[in-house]
Amino acid sequence: MTRHSILAAAAALALTAGPALAAEGWGIDHEQETRIEAKVVDLLCEVSGDCTENCGNGKRQLGLLLDDGRLVPVVKNFDIFAGATADLLPFCGKRVTADGLLISNPKMPMFALQFKREGTDGKWSRANWFGKAWSKANGGKKAGAWYKHDARVLETLKASGVYGIPGLKPSE
Amino acid sequence: MSIRQWVGAAVLGGLCIAAPANAATPQRVQVTGEIIDTWCHVTEIMYALGTAHHKCAVWCAAGGIPVGIKGDDDKVYMVLKIEGDDTSVANPKVLKIQTHQVTVNGDLYERDGVNYLIVNQVADDKGVVNMTHEDYGIQPFGE
Repeated sequence: MTRHSILAAAAALALTAGPALAAEGWGIDHEQETRIEAKVVDLLCEVSGDCTENCGNGKRQLGLLLDDGRLVPVVKNFDIFAGATADLLPFCGKRVTADGLLISNPKMPMFALQFKREGTDGKWSRANWFGKAWSKANGGKKAGAWYKHDARVLETLKASGVYGIPGLKPSE
Repeated sequence: MSIRQWVGAAVLGGLCIAAPANAATPQRVQVTGEIIDTWCHVTEIMYALGTAHHKCAVWCAAGGIPVGIKGDDDKVYMVLKIEGDDTSVANPKVLKIQTHQVTVNGDLYERDGVNYLIVNQVADDKGVVNMTHEDYGIQPFGE
């Protein structure tokens, strides 16, 4: 088993594991299990001043503005192959406690959100609201393997092929 | 409502979406590189470039993971806006150029180690040219 496949397997296990109200390590280089208080911000607004209402209403990437002024993009939630916008949007402009992995990779620091709550005494919830939103938008279908059934994915891959080059197919 | 009240309301409305005080001045840049899924590429949780990773990159972009550019300068750029479109979560136009080799002109904001890029123009798009599937198969599940 290669290092990549071991990491992928570990991450897959983590994604299917039962809830525990503390971040779990995923075996990623530079990761640090982190619980932090911060303000949820629209990244485009925060860095460039190009702002809109309610952090873009779900169409913009969101981040955490820490008390020391550092800005960290939240790129991942607890659903497989999914980001964290659905988890953070309800808290746009508010303080949250974010629990997850701070990945201090010099290529690009980032945060993988596993749990969140409003302020310091809100109710904890698993960062799996992408899946909940996807399920709601898809007639209640379970979101477990959403990526195999998502209409946008199917349409894109139908046109591009699995390799991104129309007509280039895996050998039988 | 008086004119004074209208002006007050307008000012308050503007304040609600006012720019943050620490928004910086961008650097005008041209970046050449591959459109990537930032999560898989940066974490190296799997091999995440080229044809081998195209399908997964589409999954991740549709799932709302930030799309970026892995520049020929080896830097990672996180795309926040593209050709006037501020949709950076599951943008259908961006799904269609996943894994493509592109040259873009844009505005770069560097902050806390992250290269945030506003793409003003996709100047060149060579499509998918990074043929990695023969070495890496299809990532991550092999099919």
